[in-house]
Amino acid sequence: MYGLKDRENAPKSLPQRPIQAAKRRRQLYPFLFHMGPVALSVCSVLLIGLMALLYLSQVNQAVSANDTLLNLHAQEAVLQRENQDLVNTIAQEQSPAYIAAKAKRMGLVPADQSAIQVLVVPHLKPIPTDVPSQRLKP
Amino acid sequence: MSQELRRARNRQMLIFLLVCFGMLILLSRLYYWQVVEAHSGHNLAQLANDEHIQNIVLNAPRGLIYDADGRILATNVVRDDVYIEPIQFSVDHPDDYQASLATVVHSLHQVLPTVSQDQLYKDFNSGLQTMRIATRIDPTQSQQLEAMHLPDIFLVSRTWRVYPQGSLAAQVLGYVTQTDTDNHGVYGIEGQYNTLLAGKPGSLTAETDLDGNPLVVGPSSEQNPVPGADLTLTINSDIQYFVEQGLAQAVKQLGAQSGTVVVLNVRTGAVVAMAGYPTFDPNQYWQYANQKGCLGSEDVYFNPALYCSYEPGSTMKAVTMAAALDQHLITPDTSFFDPGYISFPDAPTVYNWADLAYGRETMTQVLEHSANVGAAYVAHNILGASRYYPYLARFGFGQFTGINDGPETPGYYRTPSNSPQVWTPSDLTRQAFGQSIDATPLQVAMAYEAIANGGVMMRPYLLASVDNNGHITTTQPQVVRRVISAQAAHLLTSMLEEAATVGLAQTAKVSGYTVAAKTGTATTQGISDSETEASVAGFIPAQNPQFVILVKIDRPQATIFGGTAAAPLWKAIGQQLMEYYQIPPDDLKS
Repeated sequence: MYGLKDRENAPKSLPQRPIQAAKRRRQLYPFLFHMGPVALSVCSVLLIGLMALLYLSQVNQAVSANDTLLNLHAQEAVLQRENQDLVNTIAQEQSPAYIAAKAKRMGLVPADQSAIQVLVVPHLKPIPTDVPSQRLKP
Repeated sequence: MSQELRRARNRQMLIFLLVCFGMLILLSRLYYWQVVEAHSGHNLAQLANDEHIQNIVLNAPRGLIYDADGRILATNVVRDDVYIEPIQFSVDHPDDYQASLATVVHSLHQVLPTVSQDQLYKDFNSGLQTMRIATRIDPTQSQQLEAMHLPDIFLVSRTWRVYPQGSLAAQVLGYVTQTDTDNHGVYGIEGQYNTLLAGKPGSLTAETDLDGNPLVVGPSSEQNPVPGADLTLTINSDIQYFVEQGLAQAVKQLGAQSGTVVVLNVRTGAVVAMAGYPTFDPNQYWQYANQKGCLGSEDVYFNPALYCSYEPGSTMKAVTMAAALDQHLITPDTSFFDPGYISFPDAPTVYNWADLAYGRETMTQVLEHSANVGAAYVAHNILGASRYYPYLARFGFGQFTGINDGPETPGYYRTPSNSPQVWTPSDLTRQAFGQSIDATPLQVAMAYEAIANGGVMMRPYLLASVDNNGHITTTQPQVVRRVISAQAAHLLTSMLEEAATVGLAQTAKVSGYTVAAKTGTATTQGISDSETEASVAGFIPAQNPQFVILVKIDRPQATIFGGTAAAPLWKAIGQQLMEYYQIPPDDLKS
C-alpha cells in the first residue's frame, strides 16, 4: 500500500538537494490520495478517537447488559425464594398435624374407633365405578 | 590521550557501571519475585487476579424428600443473616457517631427484637470489619430491613433445610447440620443419601466491578450446579402421623420410657410407617442434644426400629413354631402335658408366666397361652440346636435386614457355632420364648412379614424412588429368601389367628377383620420382672395379609403385659390401616 514516489523517472541531470530528497522520501501515500503529515496525524487522532468512542459505546452496552443480567438474576433469586416459601407453606398446610389442629379449632373431634361397627348387608352387589380408587395401596 | 578525553572516558565508565549496577539490582529483584517468591507458596499472579476476578461457588439445591403420596417431608428455604460493618460505620459517621449509632440501633432493635440494644451497641463497638448480628431472620424482617436502607448493614442469604411436617418421621429422615460453608446430612435418610441429596456445586469465575458484582458479560466461565436428587419414601404421612400420635399417647398414658412401632407392607416389604418415641424436631435438632432414646443407650436421633435391639419375648414363639412346622416335626394339634414348668437334664427349669399350669395343650394353645414351657419343649425336645438355629438365621436374626443398605444393628444370639465356649442348652430353651436373643423391632417385624407372605421374606425398604434430575430409579420389591414353606406359613397363620381370637392377643383383634398376632412381655435378666418390654407383632387381615404391625412399649408402668400395654395401640393402628386403605372386612362373624 505504502510506497515511495518513483524516483527512477526523475531527470538525472538535476540532482536533488539532500533535504528535499529526504522530504520526498518521507512523503507517503497512505491512501489513494496525497496526504501531508499534519493531515495524517489529525486523521489518525480522529480515527483513534472514533475507535475509542465505538469501544466505549460497546463497553457501555456491555455494562448495561451486565446490569440487566444481574437484575434478572436477582429477580430470579427472589422468585425462587418466594417459590420455595410457597412450597414450604403448602407442605406445612398439607401435613396431617396441621389439618388435625385446624379441624380441632373448627370444633371437630377424632372419631371414636371403638364405636365402629361392621354391618353385614346380605346380597349386596358391588357398585360399579369407572373411577379407580385414588388411594393406592403402597 | 588528553586529560579531558580520559575524564570523559572515566565518566562514561562510571555511568556504565552505575547502569550495570542498576540492572543488577533490577535483575536480582526480578529473580526474587519470579523465582524465590514463586516457590515460597505465594501465588502472586493468583493474588493479583483475586483483586479483580471473583470465583463464586454456586451451591446446588439439596434434593427434596417426599412421602409415598408426594407430600413434602423435607425442603429448602432461603433466609437472610444480618451483618454490620462496625469500622466502616465509625468512618462514615465521624461527627455524629453516637447519634447515628443510637438511631441505627433503635431501628435494628425494632425489626430484630430478639437482639437486645445493649448487644447491638456492643457489636458496633467491637472494632471488627464485619459482624453477624442475627441469623435466619423471617422474610418480613428481611423486607423491613431492606426498606429501611440502614447504612453499613447488609443481608446475606443462605439456604436452610426445613421439615414442613415438623417432627413427623424425624428418626427416619435424620437432619442436616448447617454451617456457613457446608450442609451435611446426618442420621436417617439425610445422612445415608447425603451425597445423592447434596448434588454437585457449580462455579462462576468472572471479573468484578468496583462493588464486587461479577461482570458476567465478558470473559467469564460458569459451571452450572447439579441439583441434588429428589427422594420419594414409602412412608405414608397420614399413617405415620396416626402411629406417632398413638405411640406418644400410649407411652405417656402407660408411664413408659419409650416405644417403637413398625408397619410394613406384607407383599413388598415397603415400610409404611416407622416411629419411635421420644423423638425430635429436625428443624431444631440442637435442642435435643441431651435427650436419649433406646432406654437411655442411644441419642434420640437414632431410629429405634433399626438401632434399639431388645429381647423380643414371647413374639419369638411364633418363630420357634415356624421352625418345627416347616420340618414337619409338629402340627398345630400336636399336644404335650404342661404342668407349668419343664425340667431339662442340661438346662435350668423353665416356668410359665406366674407358674401357670395348662395341663394337656396343643401347639396352637401354646401360642394362645403364650406358654414358655411349650416353646422350650419344642426347641429343646423336638427341634434341638441343629434344627433350630438354621431357622433363626433364615428369619434374619443376628443379620442386617439390608434396609436401603443403611446402617443398623444386627442383633445377636449365642449359638453352638458362634459361641462354642459360652453357649449352653439354656440359651436354646430361653431363645425359644425370646430371651437370650437380641433383635431389632424391624427384624421381628420382618419375621412376621415372612410368615404373612406365605413363608417368603421380602427385603424391607424405605426408598421408593430416586429422581436424579429426570433420571428416575424405582425400587423394586426384592425377595430375600423363602424362610418356611407356604404350608407351614399357612398353618402358623391359623395358630396366630387363634391366639388373636381366644388367646392373650385378643385385645389386638380388630372388629370385622381376621388378625394373626402374638403378644410379648419380655423381662431382662438383672432387673425387676415388672420392668418389661411389652410388645405385639402380627398382621392384618390374617386371611389376606396386607400389613405387618409391630408395637413395642418399653418399661410401661400402668400395665406391663404385651396384651394390655401394646395391644390396644396395635388394634387402633390395624383399624386405621383397614379404613385408610379401604380394605373390606373379612371376618363378618366378629
